[in-house]
Amino acid sequence: MCELRRVYVAGVGMVKVGKYVDKSLRDLAGEAALKAMEEAGNEVPEALVVGNMLSSLIEQENLASLIGDHLGLRGACGFKVEGACGSGGVAVLTGYSLVASGLFSKVLVVGVEKLFERPSSDVIRGLAYAADADYELIYGVTFSGLNALLMRYYMSKYGVKYEELAYWSVLMHKNGSRNPYAQLRYEITLEDVLKSPLIADPIRLYDSCPLSDGASAVFLASEDSKRLTDTPVIIAGIGNSIDSVDLTSRLELDHLLASRVSAESALRMAKTDLREVEVAEVHDAYTITAALSIESIGFAERGKAPKAWSEGRFSPGDKPSLNLSGGLKSRGHPVGATGVYQLAEVVMQLRGDFPGVSVPAEVGLTQNIGGAGSNVTTIILRR
Amino acid sequence: MTTLQRIWRLKNTILNLVASRCLACGYVTYPPKMRCPVCGSRELREERLPREGEVLSYTIIRVPAKGFENFTPVIIALIKLGDAKVLSEVVDVKPEDVSIGMRVVATVRKSAETIDGGVPYVTKFKPLKL
Repeated sequence: MCELRRVYVAGVGMVKVGKYVDKSLRDLAGEAALKAMEEAGNEVPEALVVGNMLSSLIEQENLASLIGDHLGLRGACGFKVEGACGSGGVAVLTGYSLVASGLFSKVLVVGVEKLFERPSSDVIRGLAYAADADYELIYGVTFSGLNALLMRYYMSKYGVKYEELAYWSVLMHKNGSRNPYAQLRYEITLEDVLKSPLIADPIRLYDSCPLSDGASAVFLASEDSKRLTDTPVIIAGIGNSIDSVDLTSRLELDHLLASRVSAESALRMAKTDLREVEVAEVHDAYTITAALSIESIGFAERGKAPKAWSEGRFSPGDKPSLNLSGGLKSRGHPVGATGVYQLAEVVMQLRGDFPGVSVPAEVGLTQNIGGAGSNVTTIILRR
Repeated sequence: MTTLQRIWRLKNTILNLVASRCLACGYVTYPPKMRCPVCGSRELREERLPREGEVLSYTIIRVPAKGFENFTPVIIALIKLGDAKVLSEVVDVKPEDVSIGMRVVATVRKSAETIDGGVPYVTKFKPLKL
């Protein structure tokens, strides 16, 4: 690999995840972007990278120009990148590359999603665009359905009980209840999960993340611009990997190849190993996704993650503490913005100013998963 | 919601369950690929999968995607057919009677109407009664 410039996160911005009828896609993106720019000393970015998956649902593309112009950035470089629910992660990777390569010194990465404008049946159909349209969607399978297939397989192979997986949701709502940016800001009990309606057996409503609107932004800067902030956090390692979109040709159904490979790449680049990671945000679109992500990264052995978290592992203060934001489950999952939220949250943990549950930490990790594990970005952050 | 064009293009693969077998390492994938996902070889041969297999995992979709309201609840399964796996619908069985390891056989059935008003026929699976 040629010499890369160091890339710092000089500012972050988030809007509360939720359901917005009074704010448009450009309003949400603009609000998050302005916060990140303010944190970075009101510097003007040279480039804008937008992460988004489904703006076509609300009949809007050309997002970088739309949002960039709204922010007074005419003349800047700008474009959108997409990797399904992993769009935020690949947007960060793209922004990172623009700075690390020396092409630009100040890049704004904005993740944004606006779902609550269409009927939910349209949104559910839209989210399934992350699956294989030719071979999976012709059967009417939903994104929940695909994850349900993985969940039942996993439970059967490892003898994991539904309740053990469901307990993840309880833990996430506990963390999320203290996150002012979270969508579902309340605690739930295991009984609440067990009594919630079935969406796609064995997945129930509370095993699943909510539908969400939201936007998050990070201001990336090179070494010469790190003066922008007193508390810079460095992107020490970043990796992305793809796997098949279809589940059927996967080598394994209980392991996410792209999660493992992207984590290995990020750790190698950061010259560190998992034991150093103190705080992490993993992609728990469903409780099964949490288990597969945790195990594929290497935080737990195969089939053992649910038992581990049921016994208190990964709770606040443990190493690593996972999803102090409440994760996708409670913070919410504004699809193409999620990877950028994760980055902003872990940056705040490392700076010590996350407004919810926080732990002292110097090394953090984020993992953003697109599709049912088909496009995964893992990032290592260091204070 | 699919289109007539797509169904027409996929008719051989879907109705005949055509997979690709790598002549270098033997890995079989459905749907077929242009290069082997395991070894990268371009020497692939199309072959028809067996029409009988067993359920590896299944789900019952209760909240439908647009266009599939009349097919809900629908049983979707990952099915092992020989050396490959396929995803399909399981029919002619009550949701509570499906199980992992259940033997199923391919059958041709109607699917949801396409955007352009066509009525496509696709491969689904039904319980194998010996």
